Amino acid sequence: MTALRKNLYLHWLTWVTLGCLVTLVACDYAPQGDASSQPGEDAELTVYRHAMDGAPTSLDPAQASNIYANFIAVNLFDTLYRYKYLARPYQLEPNLAEGMPQVSADGLIYTIRIKPGVQFIDDPAFPQGKGRALRAADFVYSIKRHFDPAVRAQGAWLWQGRIVGLDEWKESGADYDRDVPGLQALDNRTVQIQLIAPFPQLPHTLAHGLSAIVPREAVEAYGPEFAVRPVGSGPFRLAEFDSTRAVLLRNERFRSEPFNLTAEGFDPARQAGLGLEKLEDRIPPLTDRIEVEFIAEDAARWNAFNAGELDFVKVPVSQFDQVLMARDPPALRPDFADRFNLAANLESGFVHTDFNMDDQRIGYHPDPDQDARNRALRCAIIKAFDWPKRNEIFYYGIGQVFPGIIPPAAPEFDPNQDRSAVTRDLDGAQGLLSSYGWYASNLPVLEYGFTSSVTERQMFEQFRSFMADIGYPAEKIRALTYATYGDYARAYLNREVMLITTGWTMDYPDAENTMQLFFGPNATPASNNANYDNEEFNRLYRASATMQPSPLRTAMYRNMNDIVIDDCATISGISRRLILLWRREHSLLPDRSFVGGYFFRFVDVRPAAGSRK
Amino acid sequence: MPRVMRTVWQALLLILGVTFVSFLLMVWFGPDQTYTLIGKNASAEQIAELRHELGYDRPFLARYADFLVDLSTLDLGASNSSGERVSRLLARSTPITLALMLPGFLLGNLLGVALGLAAAQRRGQWTDRLISGLSVVGMSISFLVIIIALQVLLSTPYGLNLFPVRGWQVSDLPSYLLYVTVPTIALLLVTLGYNTRFYRAVFVEEIGKDHIRTAQAFGTAPAVILWKHVLKNSLVPIITRVLFSIPLVVISGSLLIETYFGVPGIGKVTFEAITNGDQPVLKAVVALTAVAFVLIQLAADILYRLVDPRLA
Repeated sequence: MTALRKNLYLHWLTWVTLGCLVTLVACDYAPQGDASSQPGEDAELTVYRHAMDGAPTSLDPAQASNIYANFIAVNLFDTLYRYKYLARPYQLEPNLAEGMPQVSADGLIYTIRIKPGVQFIDDPAFPQGKGRALRAADFVYSIKRHFDPAVRAQGAWLWQGRIVGLDEWKESGADYDRDVPGLQALDNRTVQIQLIAPFPQLPHTLAHGLSAIVPREAVEAYGPEFAVRPVGSGPFRLAEFDSTRAVLLRNERFRSEPFNLTAEGFDPARQAGLGLEKLEDRIPPLTDRIEVEFIAEDAARWNAFNAGELDFVKVPVSQFDQVLMARDPPALRPDFADRFNLAANLESGFVHTDFNMDDQRIGYHPDPDQDARNRALRCAIIKAFDWPKRNEIFYYGIGQVFPGIIPPAAPEFDPNQDRSAVTRDLDGAQGLLSSYGWYASNLPVLEYGFTSSVTERQMFEQFRSFMADIGYPAEKIRALTYATYGDYARAYLNREVMLITTGWTMDYPDAENTMQLFFGPNATPASNNANYDNEEFNRLYRASATMQPSPLRTAMYRNMNDIVIDDCATISGISRRLILLWRREHSLLPDRSFVGGYFFRFVDVRPAAGSRK
Repeated sequence: MPRVMRTVWQALLLILGVTFVSFLLMVWFGPDQTYTLIGKNASAEQIAELRHELGYDRPFLARYADFLVDLSTLDLGASNSSGERVSRLLARSTPITLALMLPGFLLGNLLGVALGLAAAQRRGQWTDRLISGLSVVGMSISFLVIIIALQVLLSTPYGLNLFPVRGWQVSDLPSYLLYVTVPTIALLLVTLGYNTRFYRAVFVEEIGKDHIRTAQAFGTAPAVILWKHVLKNSLVPIITRVLFSIPLVVISGSLLIETYFGVPGIGKVTFEAITNGDQPVLKAVVALTAVAFVLIQLAADILYRLVDPRLA
């Protein structure tokens, strides 16, 4: 027994020692209450720690189509334009460009001057490792990459069929040494774009991360790994990147442009108290180090924010109750208001459920009578859909429900539009069904697609309960579940899904970006998931596509919106409201919309006080 | 055929079999990455181009043959998602996972053996009942619940706020201990119940054997019986469990830990490759796992003979 006791003592001794060691380490850890210095680095280093609820896989601008990649890309690379930091509604602003484009009278030729003295960061891809000056030819090269199949780029759709000779350049083998007539570098600082037809949204596309400018020699030096070894001229350079975080360091060679509150659209009525006034005349980027943590899991993200490890968080819906004391307008509880600033922004997009109009069971039908019956069925389903309940259960009741396909983020949104398309009307729905001869026995089986997740399943069940209220048998509403979004996308893009729920994030603040979702020629596999095809809608779309913003164009968009509503092609929609929190001591106005990652350069954090020792 | 040759031949067959089956599953049932990578508003032509770029339009056997050639030349290619060389990705993430999982894995097994011994020695008594009961409790609680509870308890102002909630900024021993402690406790809590139950069953069986009763009849001290006779004679199942759980712990066991603690290890890389359908990464992980199993099989063969000469 003595030997066993000795062993037990040893065992306990080991544990006590280990416990002491861990306690010492833990006591040495001080959670970061604000900007902090990093081990071994200058104590005055300013650090801003930002959480994102998803992670980019590639930092190559050619693959920056999703919000996460775009967020980072616009900080590592330069785009010709960007959106003003503080102006709402959003306004374009020259970024790398010297001014707004000079546009020919016919709207076909855009000439853009690039600012002088812009340098790429130092990198071994350049001779002697010294970054060279950015040239107009780099922009031309960067846009061409989207048309090179080997790049697997995601932005061709923005310029396809619009720039003279670009599609032909691709068809003839995507040789970068061959010129494209409509995409020219006139000299080192002048870009000229010649369009096939007027494309008023062109400057907006040049503010998207997809249009960011890359140096050819770095792309060729690193090949596919350029996606994780980015070389750009943006306000930051990449220090670290993996699936959990990206660390950006201030680009010391970034052009010196003093911050101008007025030029950025500062509105004291809405933005006073955020500490933005003190940024006047300072030179961005204002923070030395940006740490972006990719935390998809709500609980982990929220815990990390609460523990002081993050300066910014998009609050998970599950925590809204804990954070908000009022919903309309959203207001923080006092204990949060003491420590954090709040932005309750609507997303620049919307969630909607489309009917697959190519499916004769619910969509278009060659027999006019059946076609009319199908329309009545779709309209009945829309009338039975309970938007307030959807909003309440899944979006805490603070999303904005709107009729049709022009979301509130679009400048052409009509706040006074008739809301009957989003108002539940069970009597109307049942009346439609019985008038057109739909009964429980002959209703078609609805196939409702979604990716496999608890929330999606709950939404499906809620949809079934809505339909039960008009007598739609539960067994006639079936779930088509998919393991990944890619599988789901493959199914609906191949027209295998009858009811398609998706979200759309607008690429620029112009309702054309959502109108194209219902333009007939954009049927799947392009982005018209509903395979909607209305002659009048298509005509209006074509006519408005070349028009500059104007009351007439807005009226045309709204007319198109009414057509989609009248055809009952989609159950739409809701724009989710994002609750963004950040520490009061920092001066910033975060944005998940069109400004997106551009705001990082203007973030001003208090110099290091607390620290992780 | 000499024994070594036979072992190598069997190992090769095993690797071929595993890679073939997993490649078949990946190609026919795995996610199609085309629709993740394609971006918005793609035309049918662009989809076809991307499928060609990804090699999806090539015959299955040709793709499998290429995979074997790549594997034999250790050319693992580049991730379809990030473009990063797979070899670089694995070299970066595997050591992190090992560093993350090793303390919990070792402690889980050592404590499991210790508690299993204690329970087996006092079979039927309150010690045994307490250990077995707690083991069942540990086995019953969801891993996710344990992780979130520990994060709240140890890493937020709602609890003790002693450790970081997540991250892996490890530069020296103190920072390592800072980041590894909570994941280790989580891993320990979730594995200890299973380990203890398993080892207890092994020891109970061993304690009931004749040679133990003989030793007791000779008046051998209980501690000597435990350490020298029970433990030593139980080493074969212990070795089997420990060795064969290594690949599972490294790949699948680390998945939740790495995801919730924000650690860029191989589990997270694998999970993302599975959900994205990133075949170059998946192929490499599957192949390396198969190789790891083969090596472990060989190691287990050698260790069995060392601890039990009757198997030689």
